[in-house]
Amino acid sequence: MTELPNRILHLLAGAGPGYLPARASSVAEGVDQVFLLLFWVSAFFLALIILLTIVFVLRYRRRATRLHPEPSPAHSTRLELLWSVIPLALVMALFVMSTRTWIQMTSADPGGDPVRVQVTGRKWSWWFDHPSGKGANELHVVAGRPVELILSATDVIHSLYVPEFRLKQDAVPGRFTRLTFTPTVPGSYPILCAEYCGTDHSRMLSTVVVHADQASFDAWSKEGLPADATLADLGKQVFAEKGCAACHSVDGTRSVGPSVRGLWKRHEKLADGTTALVDEEYLRESLVKPGAKVVAGYPNIMPPMPLEERELKAVAAYLETLAAEGGAPAKGEETKR
Amino acid sequence: MSTAAVAVRAPAHETGSYLEHGRGVRSWLFTLDHKRIGIMYLVAISACLLLGGVFALVLRMHLWSPQGALVSNDAYNKLFTLHGAVMIFLFIIPGIPAALGNFVLPLQLGAKDLAFPRVNLLSFWLFVAGAIFFLVVLVVGGVDTGWTLYPPYSLESARGLGILLALSAVVLTGFSSILTGVNFIATIHRMRPPGMGWFDMPLFLWALYATGVIQIISTPVLGITAAMGFLERIFHLGLFMPEYGGDPILFQHFFWFYSHPAVYIMILPAMGVVSEVVSVFSRKPIFGYRFIAVSSMAIAIIGFLVWGHHMFVSGQSRWASLAFSFLTMLVSIPSAIKTFNWIATMYKGAIVLKTPMVYVLTFFAIFGVGGLTGLFLGLLATDVPLHDTYFVVAHFHFVMVGAVMIAFLAGLHYWWPKMTGRMYHEGVGVASAWLVFLGFNLTFVPQFLAGVLGMPRRYATYAPQFTAHNRLSTVGAFVLALGLVVALAGLLHSLRRGRRAPPNPWGAASLEWTIASPPTHHNFDETPRARGPYDYSGLHEVSEDAGWVREEGR
Ligand code: HEM
Ligand SMILES: [Cu+2]
Repeated sequence: MTELPNRILHLLAGAGPGYLPARASSVAEGVDQVFLLLFWVSAFFLALIILLTIVFVLRYRRRATRLHPEPSPAHSTRLELLWSVIPLALVMALFVMSTRTWIQMTSADPGGDPVRVQVTGRKWSWWFDHPSGKGANELHVVAGRPVELILSATDVIHSLYVPEFRLKQDAVPGRFTRLTFTPTVPGSYPILCAEYCGTDHSRMLSTVVVHADQASFDAWSKEGLPADATLADLGKQVFAEKGCAACHSVDGTRSVGPSVRGLWKRHEKLADGTTALVDEEYLRESLVKPGAKVVAGYPNIMPPMPLEERELKAVAAYLETLAAEGGAPAKGEETKR
Repeated sequence: MSTAAVAVRAPAHETGSYLEHGRGVRSWLFTLDHKRIGIMYLVAISACLLLGGVFALVLRMHLWSPQGALVSNDAYNKLFTLHGAVMIFLFIIPGIPAALGNFVLPLQLGAKDLAFPRVNLLSFWLFVAGAIFFLVVLVVGGVDTGWTLYPPYSLESARGLGILLALSAVVLTGFSSILTGVNFIATIHRMRPPGMGWFDMPLFLWALYATGVIQIISTPVLGITAAMGFLERIFHLGLFMPEYGGDPILFQHFFWFYSHPAVYIMILPAMGVVSEVVSVFSRKPIFGYRFIAVSSMAIAIIGFLVWGHHMFVSGQSRWASLAFSFLTMLVSIPSAIKTFNWIATMYKGAIVLKTPMVYVLTFFAIFGVGGLTGLFLGLLATDVPLHDTYFVVAHFHFVMVGAVMIAFLAGLHYWWPKMTGRMYHEGVGVASAWLVFLGFNLTFVPQFLAGVLGMPRRYATYAPQFTAHNRLSTVGAFVLALGLVVALAGLLHSLRRGRRAPPNPWGAASLEWTIASPPTHHNFDETPRARGPYDYSGLHEVSEDAGWVREEGR
């Protein structure tokens, strides 16, 4: 029980970082800055409220010698304006600060060369498909290397939460959500589930291991795994087995449907004149409801091809390798050859 | 001289109080008298508070040790669902408006009753029917989804039906809430006495008016959401369940579109009570009346635009999050200013530290914490780590228990003499206020700390580093419970032993204090002429027993 009073003292003494969980991601510091600033602003106003209350009660208490209130104004526009405008200015400043940090926290492009890990939440464990093809119930990343998590869930909503990263993101069945971050400090940190998901919600625990360098990560990655089994390989297999190849070429040739070469992360022109970014969400929609976004120049004939979550992610990984091999997608590639 | 003055205030023809008007159980159960209906609500919601409180104590005992000291995970999950659902739907939402509002609103208007007395009775019985149904389903159905009922979890085949029954029960109590809102609004529009313009109303009436507006607009959404849940569950329309092509996030939008404004259904009446008490017990007109009145309406309106701040990490669009965060910052301002107005009211006053005022003083500190911690959850950067942790649990208990329940206790002690004709025991009352305050802080302050360190909510087991936080919290819960028991005992004791209450024991200026305590069946023999609700000039205290009277020749 001695730890708690210590922590309270830490917090009150302004030794914020001493109290808060360790900071292990690139955004943690920014979050803590907003937190601590707001903490002190709040502490000030709370102290003001309590102090004024106490002083007024002591000073203006009704007693035999002081039965009646002293005359004082029943309102004062100047005063009221003052105490409207100052809090307003303060919360607006805080809003701007918080928003700036939050844009970094949720930025679509984490910069660098992000490692994309597919995350699946289910009752009551997490599953992480690393790009090397290694699936595990822990997340492994490398310090300093940006990470992009693509989250989904197979049964109910879960929420991936790493206090040391100051990050949290719901994993929703039927949707992909994403979380980007750069881990900064090697070590192991707990992953918790923060969205109530039934019986063992509080035991849905995992770990994120931040490796100090790529070599250490690679060593883990190779452990007990056939050297050639990557997620993209699985995707290639699915692509063939499910019959996708019947209509979509992988080498840029125009077929019944658009070729998938160089498709990944391209801005695709649609029949209705808009464009759509090809990503996991687009892929899912195109498989479940192919008619929703039809590519310009192709007939709307594709049947729904619902894949399992894992298969879908594997196909995504596979498509990505096609983009890499093909280099920058050439204009009018379909007419090549 | 004092006896003469009192005689003037006594009802002209003594037909007995509303409590004696008609005897027997039937004269209560089928009464159209808003005062009796108010009392019946009071009994019903107090029973719900006790029930919810017992569940809370079991929860807290279970959390004594990290691996859970008492029950299985499943039982814990059912218990927190029961606790949360009972407290929200059966205690804190109906609490102040239905119980205190029903009793006080017509009296403050100098009216004989509400505009639609039969609707009022219907509303009460809908509430009781809904509450009983709800409790039966919760207990028998073993619902374990939490009161937020998020699908897909809530609509999974194993538990879908229990949830739908529970939801339909909530719809019943929701109807009751809508009817009360309609009744209050109609009454305030049509039955204000001569001399009472909108800006001459007591602030409690403004608060009830704003509450009524929210009840009427937001509660139907709850009904619609329940209906959609039914359709989804039975016909698989593909609304909320991904397996039929639906979207679980859609449900969250509907749910919070009701449930966020519901927070204002709770807090606005509480602010109304605080405004009355702080003025009367400082013996000064409320500072900045107009601002407080208008800000109630502002909160009611902007409050409809912030629901998405519950969904910052759900995967909703970033632009939506940005807008919701901004609007949340805006809606915090009227509440902040009200707080300064209340405190300014005490400046140079003649402050009387009776129980209602002691409760209100503790309210200032607690509402301050509740409101300020709300900012942490409204800002995007800080909400991401804090969302769904014990920080949130502490925050909403500060607002709902700390602020609303304490204001409810303040209002209950304040109007108790008018309701029962008896004075409660001051010493006991003040002691209960302090116990509640201490117990409350001991319970919920450690939860803020646990939340910042990353303890998620709805956890039946937790990491050992949080043991100290949880143990302090459990001890605090028992102190808080003791405070409530002391308050209850003091009030019940006064029913038999309390001093007889004079018409105006506090020296208040609003109309309910110009008639006998307890009032007669008809409240007022003729419609009174209103004067300023905070105009204390001419009031002077005759004696403890005779209370305050207005000097003749005013
Ligand atoms: C003695 C007083 C109380 C104690 C000790 C207490 C304790 C608790 C605890 C331990 C939880 C579970 C938190 C979690 O695991 O997320 C909880 C949840 C909750 N409490 Fe209380 N509580 C008290 C009074 C109240 C009151 C008066 C209200 C409302 C008027 C209330 C509303 C809620 C709600 C809405 C939940 C959330 C339930 C859910 O997660 O579904 N509580 N409370
Ligand atoms: Cu989970």
